[in-house]
Amino acid sequence: MKTFLYNIGYFFKETGRIIRLNILSNIFSIIGTGLILFLLGLVITGSDIGNHLVNMLNEEAEINGYFTKDISDSDRNELVEKIGKIYGVRSARLVNEDEAKKKMEDILGEEAKILELFKENPFEAFVEIRINVDEMENILDNVKNMKGIEYVRDNREVLEKIKDITYAFKVLGYLLIAAVGITTLIILSHMIRQGIYNNREQINTLRLLGSPGAFIGFPYVLTGILLTLLGGILAALSVVLLINTAYEGIGSTVLFLPLPSKNDLIDKMIILIPSLSFILGLMGSLFGLSSIRKK
Amino acid sequence: MIISENVSLIYPDKTQALFDVNLEIKPGELVYITGPSGSGKTSFLKLLMGMEFPTSGSLSVLGETINKSNYGNIQKLRRKIGPVFQEFKLIQGRTALENVMMGMRFLGIKPKLMKEQAHEALEKVGLGHKKYSKVENLSWGESQRVAIARAVARKPLLILADEPTGNLDYDNAINILKLLKSFREEDITVIITTHATHLINNEKDAMFINVYKGRITAERKGLAV
Repeated sequence: MKTFLYNIGYFFKETGRIIRLNILSNIFSIIGTGLILFLLGLVITGSDIGNHLVNMLNEEAEINGYFTKDISDSDRNELVEKIGKIYGVRSARLVNEDEAKKKMEDILGEEAKILELFKENPFEAFVEIRINVDEMENILDNVKNMKGIEYVRDNREVLEKIKDITYAFKVLGYLLIAAVGITTLIILSHMIRQGIYNNREQINTLRLLGSPGAFIGFPYVLTGILLTLLGGILAALSVVLLINTAYEGIGSTVLFLPLPSKNDLIDKMIILIPSLSFILGLMGSLFGLSSIRKK
Repeated sequence: MIISENVSLIYPDKTQALFDVNLEIKPGELVYITGPSGSGKTSFLKLLMGMEFPTSGSLSVLGETINKSNYGNIQKLRRKIGPVFQEFKLIQGRTALENVMMGMRFLGIKPKLMKEQAHEALEKVGLGHKKYSKVENLSWGESQRVAIARAVARKPLLILADEPTGNLDYDNAINILKLLKSFREEDITVIITTHATHLINNEKDAMFINVYKGRITAERKGLAV
């Protein structure tokens, strides 16, 4: 440890020298790693926006329960309260006949005039149940079998789609993160091996002078971390630039799209991508070193 | 210090470099290993450095047994040795001072002291004025001196110099030998291989090991024993 502390300056100098020794190749490595991490940033951003969208839709996921004709007002209220307590129900609310009509008028817009053709309000009261999509089956079973419920409108197809989209986003995200991680590790460990090969005479001399392996290897680990970190910073800046541009474009053209907070997304990318690049850099360098050591 | 008992060395291509080497070298001795090229001098130094391992017999250097299973300790042993390689093994693109310091960085010496020791060593070998010169710009003799400075700056217990006079003119060769011998005053054991016996014929206080076709005969002169 003492030796490492005494040589901090030397390690950084060596790192600079290793990078300069093969400057062009290292610049391309930074750009390559940056591009890969940029892709990863895009996937994470897309996944974040998708998840936000799905969560929003999830929160809006609802089923409607219609009452039997003979039910009294007090029984209706009691039933609504009971439904609200079922596991997976976010909220249950009674929508009376007038509100049901108002809702339909809102949906129909200018076409709502058609409702004036009815002498009496044709709409029935119902219970509006907001649910957690994952618990849909259980909730449907429970509500359908309740005394006082005639039938349930469940929008099952839409809700199933929401579930599928959430799952697909997650799987895609994990696959891409794994692919990017492995690619970065391969590029980096190759870079480190190349660096070691270029400096093989110096390394051999240091070994003959009794230098510990960790002392010889440390500048290469630093090199790996630094190159990947630079790639990570490059990627983070590009992703931030893209998020800013995209939000300006989407914000003004697709107003109804419920996007997550731009600042939260940018903060996340600024922390996540460089941190990830640091970890990948460290792992790649150690992997490259260990594969050389075996020989 | 160094105890060799029935040591033989056979290379993987079946070349037998050394046969039944038996000798003991005590601390502070000056040792010349002589013999024609290809006789086994460098092979013996390689064994002492742990760069090769005895095929049979036992060899102990500064208390460490030289064999494959003891490799971890051999790295530690190397830190107590000041090697002067035949081809110098200086690191190109660095100054003489950086090269000398490179051999000391992992010894746990404080940076200030390390720099002082490196400067001192370069002054001792007469290269104080060239410490900031890149080693590729130095002459053969100067490079040899940098290699010696790197070896002694580490304050080793043992200096192993492989053909330090090769490729040098007579005056430079004598000066290098004088320099190496001077470290004996600091209680460092100095082992020098050379095929230029005419340079050491008049030596009166040293151990002479003659190697011929891998076989060794040793003789002590003067007070060294």
